[in-house]
Amino acid sequence: MLFACLLAASVADWVPVHWPSGDVKSLELLKGTAVNCVLIEQAAWSKEFADAASKQGVDVLGVLKPSKDALDQARKAKDMGLSGVSLEGDFDASVPKALADSNIRFVEIGLRMRMRMEGAALVSATNQGVWPGINTVEDTTKAAPSGGPWIDTNTGFLRFARAASDLPVWIANPPPPKTIIPVERYLQTISDAAMSGARWVITFEDDFAKKLIARDAKTLEAWARITQLLAFIEEHKEWRMWKPGGQMSVVQDVESGALLSGGVLDMIAVKHTPVRPAPTRRLNTAMMQGSSMAVNVDPSGLNDAQKQILREFTRGGGTLLTGPPGWKFPSAKPGEITLAKEDLEKLDAIWKELNTMTGRRNLGARLFNVSSMLSNLLVSPDGKQTILHLVNYSNYPVDSVTVQLTGTYKRARVYQPGKKPQDLAIYPIEEGTGVDIEQIREYGVLLVE
Amino acid sequence: MTRRELLSALAAAPLLNAKEAPAPPVSIARCKSYTEDLPAVLGQMFDQLGGLARVVRNKTITVKLNLTGSPALKFQGRALGVTHYSHPKMVGAVAYLLEQAGARRIRFVESAWGTGGPLEEYMLDSGWNVRQLKSAAKNVEFENTNALGLGKKYSRFKVESGAVFPAFDLNHAYEDTDVFMSMAKLKNHATCGVTLSMKNIFGITPASIYGDDAGDKAPNESPTKGRVNVCHLGKRNPAASAPAEVDTASSRDPGYRMPRIVTELCAARPIDIALIDGIETMAGGEGPWIRNVRWVQPGLLLAGFNPVTTDTVATAVMGYDPRSPKGQEPFVKCDNTLLLAEARGLGSADLKRIETRGLSIRDATFSFR
Repeated sequence: MLFACLLAASVADWVPVHWPSGDVKSLELLKGTAVNCVLIEQAAWSKEFADAASKQGVDVLGVLKPSKDALDQARKAKDMGLSGVSLEGDFDASVPKALADSNIRFVEIGLRMRMRMEGAALVSATNQGVWPGINTVEDTTKAAPSGGPWIDTNTGFLRFARAASDLPVWIANPPPPKTIIPVERYLQTISDAAMSGARWVITFEDDFAKKLIARDAKTLEAWARITQLLAFIEEHKEWRMWKPGGQMSVVQDVESGALLSGGVLDMIAVKHTPVRPAPTRRLNTAMMQGSSMAVNVDPSGLNDAQKQILREFTRGGGTLLTGPPGWKFPSAKPGEITLAKEDLEKLDAIWKELNTMTGRRNLGARLFNVSSMLSNLLVSPDGKQTILHLVNYSNYPVDSVTVQLTGTYKRARVYQPGKKPQDLAIYPIEEGTGVDIEQIREYGVLLVE
Repeated sequence: MTRRELLSALAAAPLLNAKEAPAPPVSIARCKSYTEDLPAVLGQMFDQLGGLARVVRNKTITVKLNLTGSPALKFQGRALGVTHYSHPKMVGAVAYLLEQAGARRIRFVESAWGTGGPLEEYMLDSGWNVRQLKSAAKNVEFENTNALGLGKKYSRFKVESGAVFPAFDLNHAYEDTDVFMSMAKLKNHATCGVTLSMKNIFGITPASIYGDDAGDKAPNESPTKGRVNVCHLGKRNPAASAPAEVDTASSRDPGYRMPRIVTELCAARPIDIALIDGIETMAGGEGPWIRNVRWVQPGLLLAGFNPVTTDTVATAVMGYDPRSPKGQEPFVKCDNTLLLAEARGLGSADLKRIETRGLSIRDATFSFR
């Protein structure tokens, strides 16, 4: 049988999990779930497991870490019937080339700065990410009320990667070590990636993994919630292809910090202003259509044609925020995924400019009572439908969310994992349409048409 | 006499001794849940006090809510109204009740934390159904008093013998009203010991002038911060458009400053109706940013036409001696606001002089210790 024929699902549809066991019986846990791609450590590889998985429609990728015999190990994986290998770490460039030459399928899950955006790669992936959730670092000097919590998220750079590449985007950041992770945090991490059109390579904390394989009752309940969420996401996988909505664009690329977390895209997202990543490499007139505001993060990084596109944008009435010379972020360096302190100061300056520019304007959607949430506004290819992803990063449901959308809509419906879609009343507001959502647990999607 | 003159005259009232301070009655009612018939419960309470209509008929009523701290800060994920914020059902019930009592115009106000934007948006951010509240009564309006708001200029409220500020510049809503109501929560306060109808009034100071990012000379109409440096700590003066501190050499201890600022605000802008919501609330502090706070369900409401007597009874209901000196609970780190207010003649803090109607203090006591 040809190696490629073993692939049960197309790569674009792979729902990946770092699977903690090579025991065939453990595959029972995947039956009836959306998981169709497991990444297993070398010690757990076996032909028996690969065959059983294949029969179940699950692809098996052997995890490889950087080593001198990586190529030999990859050949061993192929001989055992594994679907391919997952290169996890900072490999020498010769390794992927040799694998390609040997017709061995592989995914590269390495440094963020080396994410594949183009070419023959199967996915664009990294194992460098923040662990999503509300940042709970306490300021012990504070005994007065402050603003809202900061949410650690990977959405900014993931959304850039989705816009910059046609490849499926994966993020494979592990849970923080020596930490008990409640199931809600797994759900938040999956949703953080999903709302950005990406997939989290699910990676369990050690204790959870052991208990899952041992079929501990509480862990199985948690696993059921995780698989329910995965099923929900895959039932609506067409949403992954919808385009970013709203009227604010951010022109940025890898060279100007688009792959760093906590940057411009994350800042705007925290404000719940819909934002459209506009990768410089793909900048064209069509990309700017529908935008009324844009941020040009690195004016010096634009060629003449790209500058002309932004000139046309401003001539057409668009507002462009362009900083002074030197107003630029560094590109991601090895081991670096967030902004350095001096860059945060630059960001603060941009943030003030942005706040002045946007004010309280509705640039596609305004959201209320969403301090523990992040959102993403997307539009269907025909432009007739709009969805708003809402991910709740607190461990408690949020009641009474209000959404004010620009434009007139006739119907609104909210989708949530494990719940029937719920039709919602809409009402006219000054800028367009208002919708109230009674409650969002961990993840919800508002669809209006 | 104009409103401004009347308010100045009230603020300039001579200091009375404790036995001369007014001591109108206070009503206490049991109300276990926000799903109870709140208008009925509140209506009965005000009837016990002589009726609401005699105070509000054909009048403009300004109701100061308690929406302290950013709505983003929730305690254990609970709705803000069951912990440290006014509850929207109470707001709806009060609007209904005021309209039934003949109020001409009902204006809910608060200095929304960190913003000069519309109060309606802040309420939406708090998870409130603003459309429903607006329909609770005719002529309901909202105003964020953290900046100039809908007014054209700030109103100046003078303080007779002010220890901290000689006068306050406030949003017009606090002057353009016939009746002023403080709608508070039954809570502890990390600095002031308790935060009830009087301490609630601390929030009428606009951050545009008294905030940490207030302009040096002119108000900052887009405030984004609290009032710690100007009010709590006295590290800087308010915007120079407003009167500066009386004596910058005076104590910078928040336990000295805050009770005085509160008392002097209550003298400058008297409270006509005090309503305290203790149905569900928070003990140990005024908001989730205070360590070791806990959610409690005392199931109580308190109302009165004098904030000092109402707060005195409320403090007793919380299990404290309202006349405790500094150093004793609940005034561990601060001067006793109730006694300061009594010394100003704003009302009595002497339980022996205050009649309670409805529940007795003994039957209502719920320990916040």
